[in-house]
Amino acid sequence: MNNDIPVQALGGQGEIMAHAVDACVHCGFCLPACPTYALLGDEMDSPRGRIVLMKEVLEGQLPLMDAAPHLDRCLGCQACVTACPSGVPYGELITAFRGWSEPQRDRSVFDRAKRWAILKALPAPKVFSVAARAGQFAKPLAPALPAALRGPLDLLPERVPALQPSPAFTPSQGPRRGRVAFLVGCAQQALAPNFNAATLRVLSRNGIEVVIPEGQGCCGAAALHTGAREEALKLVRANLNAFQPEEFDAILSNAAGCGAGLKEYPAVLHGESDEARARAFAAKVMDISEYLNALLQSGDLAPPMPARRPLNVAYHDACHLAHAQGVRAAPRALLRAIPGVSVLEVPEGDLCCGSAGTYNLEQPELAGQLGQRKAQNILSTTPDLIASGNIGCHTQIQSHVRRQGSPVPVMHTIEVLDLAYRGEL
Amino acid sequence: MKPEKQALTTTSRAPKPASAGGSHSALAAELTRLLGPRRVLSNLSERLNYRYDAIQFGATPLAVVLPESTQDVITAVRAARAAGVPIVGRGAASGLSGGAAPLEPGLVISFTRMTRLSIHPERREATAQAGVVTLAVSEAARPHGLIYPPDPASLRTSTIGGNLAENAGGPLCFKYGVSGDYVRALEFVDADGGVHHLTRDAFDLAGLLIGSEGTLGLITEATLRLIPPPRFTRTLMAHFPEVGACAEAVSRAIAAGAVPSKLEFMDRACTNAVEDYLHLGLPREAEAVLLVDTDGEDLDTVQDELRLVEAACLEAGGTVRRAATDEEGAALWRARRSVSPALGRIRPQRMNEDIVVPRSALPEVVREIRALGDASPFPVVQFGHIGDGNLHPNILFDPRREDPHAVHDLAHRIALVAIRHGGVLSGEHGIGSMKREFMTDAVDPETLGALRRVKRALDPHGALNPGKILPLEEAPHAHP
Repeated sequence: MNNDIPVQALGGQGEIMAHAVDACVHCGFCLPACPTYALLGDEMDSPRGRIVLMKEVLEGQLPLMDAAPHLDRCLGCQACVTACPSGVPYGELITAFRGWSEPQRDRSVFDRAKRWAILKALPAPKVFSVAARAGQFAKPLAPALPAALRGPLDLLPERVPALQPSPAFTPSQGPRRGRVAFLVGCAQQALAPNFNAATLRVLSRNGIEVVIPEGQGCCGAAALHTGAREEALKLVRANLNAFQPEEFDAILSNAAGCGAGLKEYPAVLHGESDEARARAFAAKVMDISEYLNALLQSGDLAPPMPARRPLNVAYHDACHLAHAQGVRAAPRALLRAIPGVSVLEVPEGDLCCGSAGTYNLEQPELAGQLGQRKAQNILSTTPDLIASGNIGCHTQIQSHVRRQGSPVPVMHTIEVLDLAYRGEL
Repeated sequence: MKPEKQALTTTSRAPKPASAGGSHSALAAELTRLLGPRRVLSNLSERLNYRYDAIQFGATPLAVVLPESTQDVITAVRAARAAGVPIVGRGAASGLSGGAAPLEPGLVISFTRMTRLSIHPERREATAQAGVVTLAVSEAARPHGLIYPPDPASLRTSTIGGNLAENAGGPLCFKYGVSGDYVRALEFVDADGGVHHLTRDAFDLAGLLIGSEGTLGLITEATLRLIPPPRFTRTLMAHFPEVGACAEAVSRAIAAGAVPSKLEFMDRACTNAVEDYLHLGLPREAEAVLLVDTDGEDLDTVQDELRLVEAACLEAGGTVRRAATDEEGAALWRARRSVSPALGRIRPQRMNEDIVVPRSALPEVVREIRALGDASPFPVVQFGHIGDGNLHPNILFDPRREDPHAVHDLAHRIALVAIRHGGVLSGEHGIGSMKREFMTDAVDPETLGALRRVKRALDPHGALNPGKILPLEEAPHAHP
């Protein structure tokens, strides 16, 4: 799309934005992929429409605050990236745009306090855990609370588990076949500590030694995607210092959102001094399912024990796995590697569940509609089990599946594999 | 520069939005009063997004209505007529001729929320409101053992209303026909806000509305014919060292009696653009790739037809590969569907032709266009529904570095090639604003006069999609 974006004045992030706008031919192939277009049916809430809005704002033709409501409704799910034949890097565009525009925005005191609290609590598992436990007690009061507080409470599980710190080093069982670094993630340590425990057990069982480098922190995706670029840069640089990519076969994440965040580092630092380091780092980043699937494909994956009974597993594609990282086949292959497991495809599988980072907190109504639609679609396959690879999707889907009265368990793909290894599936 | 010329050549140069209306025009206020805020868009940020289709940017509308019923459309049309502003209908705006891009500020009626769809298997019919997405018709019909055959490349995005306004085709059109062939009845709203229900008997007024690009009326609902899907389909890909040879193979296959369901061609640049996107292992070195489906109720006949095509391809010097599985066939068709937008990878903008020529003239036409492209500074690519003689030569360009007038000139010369060989300007994408200047070359003055009289009869004040299809009466002949 032709544009007059003042790239020179905008620097490295400006180049990223202008390149994405250039690449868009406004064909509209992205429309059916977009969750907000599916719900609202208007052009400003479609990827093509948002690209035009961002272009106009960057060119100085449209006030930022006029475009903001539509840009804020974007989940950042990147389903449009998968659908785009012209290769528009929409994810990079919206992230860069949010980073550029956030400092210019006029937000209410309440809004700013909420965002501050989210961005402080999310990367600090201890704080998050305390907040989650406090929230657990407030849950019965939810109907009486304002909507802004009700959203997050609805998502809390019935019982918030105790924090389980992960060991800095996990040796391999049997001969060592690999050595990986592992990003422990933030919110999931508080909400689902078993994700990490299962991941360490599965890797170790497969002869992989796991190091959890000291000094690592939040991947920065939440800050980056809400436009808190300065905050994000601190987190990104802290991780670049903590992880030494040359020492490991891979840097693994078991949360799709975090993994996608790590892979974004080169774009975040485009045109800055650490860009080369970010490239070396991102080149080693893999989702846990990609790494294990490589073992499976080379015949090196320790064979899981069969499920006790035939098990239909509905697999939910997390947007940040399927769209942002292009990882679709690997988790399915891992599930199918368990004898007795059949993988079910979910109708409208490409449509976001509505969790999308902080979306539940910022756009509770749309998030709720998408969550309900996702739960209905998943349950229509009558699964015995629901598997996914992202903590955000996990809490959202669990919450909406329960709300529809279904007791079907929701697990991380690696938890399913872990249970199979232990003969408990 | 004359405004119509600008519209034709500057495919994506967005006129600056501030030019059109304040943030709340009187029309927007009146529409909001009549229809409520949910159905009316009046902020600049909202209106900005209703000035383009998949090829062109036009003027920012004064207001946008998102109707949810035919009654909403009637209300909107009457309000716009009272305000004396033009009306442009819009589906998903995936069109490729500027048809849905307003040339002047006015009212845009966007049908994307009119999505009611019902299937009547006993009559083999679907009733679809204008905003129903094309693919949704087949998806809803399939459980009843029926499909809706028209399959434009944009079928996941485009709407029935838009398809009918452009009389869209698709790969299946060679054997199964185009959108208009599946219409049993239409509901439309006229320029005065009157609603009409048309069938195909007496004066085929429905046929007149189909392909009229929103210049004669606004299609609000259609009754569509459904058919049972063929039981067997077989796919073949052939590639050729020269584009003309591909066209020869097509002519030979059809002359030999084959009636494939799809016969699609893409040239080397297209194949490579798609390959960059999908990595399917397409033959990057071939000058032309031909994709063919044969289908039917009887597997032997389907196979026989595929053999006829195969033989014709081999005789014309091609290399043939049969799709071993349905998945392989599906991947090849995904390649073809992605051609149009994947071209954005070569140059940011393009002028899209939509010519149709007699099949006997195909080899010569594709060679002549190839030669015109080679002699020009622009990448010119060709693809299309070659079985129908429907070709899409595209001129790719970068408006920041290259001269839009030279693009326009080349487009005109390509159009003249088609006309010289007995062809027409549009097979399925419409004339829109992109090709309306060429109409004086393609249509004789008496016939153009008849078209103008039809337009005046149905839209006496010229309120509906002004500036599309019909060239200005005083417009000089661009290339005498």
